[in-house]
Amino acid sequence: MTLREKISAGKFVVCGEMEPPKSCDAETIKKKSAYFKGYVDAVNITDNQTAVVRLSSLASAKILLDEGLEPIMQITCRDRNRLAIQSDLLGAAALGIRNVLCLTGDHQRFGDQPEAKGVFDLDSIQLIATVTNMNNGYLLSGQELKKATDFFIGGAANPSGTTFEMQLIRLYKKVKAGVHFIQTQPVFDLERFNKWMEKVKEMRLHEQCAIIAGVMPVKSVNALLYMKNEVPGMRISNEYIERMSKATDPKEEGIKIAIEIIQTLKTINGIKGIHLMPVMWESITPTIIEQSGLAKR
Amino acid sequence: MNSDIITKDTPKISAKERRFSRLILFIEDLVKVPLFGCQHCGECILSSTAFVCSQRCPKRMRNGPCGGTGEDGSCEVYPERKCVWYKIYKRAKLLRRVSLLYQFNKIHNWNLESTAAWLNVFKKRNKPPIWFVWNDKQKVKELISRDT
Repeated sequence: MTLREKISAGKFVVCGEMEPPKSCDAETIKKKSAYFKGYVDAVNITDNQTAVVRLSSLASAKILLDEGLEPIMQITCRDRNRLAIQSDLLGAAALGIRNVLCLTGDHQRFGDQPEAKGVFDLDSIQLIATVTNMNNGYLLSGQELKKATDFFIGGAANPSGTTFEMQLIRLYKKVKAGVHFIQTQPVFDLERFNKWMEKVKEMRLHEQCAIIAGVMPVKSVNALLYMKNEVPGMRISNEYIERMSKATDPKEEGIKIAIEIIQTLKTINGIKGIHLMPVMWESITPTIIEQSGLAKR
Repeated sequence: MNSDIITKDTPKISAKERRFSRLILFIEDLVKVPLFGCQHCGECILSSTAFVCSQRCPKRMRNGPCGGTGEDGSCEVYPERKCVWYKIYKRAKLLRRVSLLYQFNKIHNWNLESTAAWLNVFKKRNKPPIWFVWNDKQKVKELISRDT
């Protein structure tokens, strides 16, 4: 069963996330795939996230596909113009990649090569519309494709972003552009997330796309503080910071918090799945899935 | 369909028109640069972004902010600046033009860069600006409840 089929069958899905290595070593990806096999329904492959050069998401997705996993290929607008994006999408479809997550991408200034020229020919909403157009059998040129793509289109949403209403307007636009599923930024403020979810339900957007909530297990209090202070658009409730700083074993506490968040999210009506994104800590995925009771779903 | 997301087959710009366009652009700049910080995209969407130029965004977002706006409304790339989409939202609230923010802004035609947007409207390459919005709140409500 593919991710799309599972979601339309009403199953609760779990997505993992893997970052490709900063080298051309395919073995690393194959080794990491063991953390996901049998635990998750699909794995996100990041596309040069935080503007740091890594093995391409298209190639990594293909390697994972050969390993028997279902990849969600992330695609950003920072590095490619509309020509390259459409060509990469056609390539992905030809290789059998069925899920894409459309993102604008972090600005190149945050990366390891801040001197680079950012492209940003499209934005994420226009990218979603472009993929929808290709699913309908057309390129942006208006030319008809002999064989239309059949992508399951994803987008991102930030429940804690500023301003609250503007982020909802963007979600609305993404839905209208034809998005099939939405993965949210990691939830660390359940109160805010609930408020956001209420609004989403009021606008009835959750009926038109599958909302998959992001969960990020952290290893230390510093990681939380870094996100709170340095990563814009993140809200982290003080409760978690306090608990992490007091914990004797911060890793254990981090896992506990993640599991608690997962269990609360599971009870929220309208959430179709969890997107587990342990940054630089993929090996923890099986533990969290087993302990939170998601293994037998 | 295609025409909903991208403008195609607009009249070609002749060399003669390009020269004339530069003259119009000069006049346009006198207004648009000091008032809006115009970036000369040639496909002006100022009227649907509450008269704040969206093209000053480092990511040139045409359809709303990225997720990185700070809680105080600062830009994530240049924290000393305000996020243009934060300004757009605040201004749209003030001018009661929020319903326009729900519109999809089409993929940019880079052919029009550094040409006069006013002339492009006249030549039917661009949509004309929307000057007045009535019953903004009602319109937002209708947009949300449509086809659901």
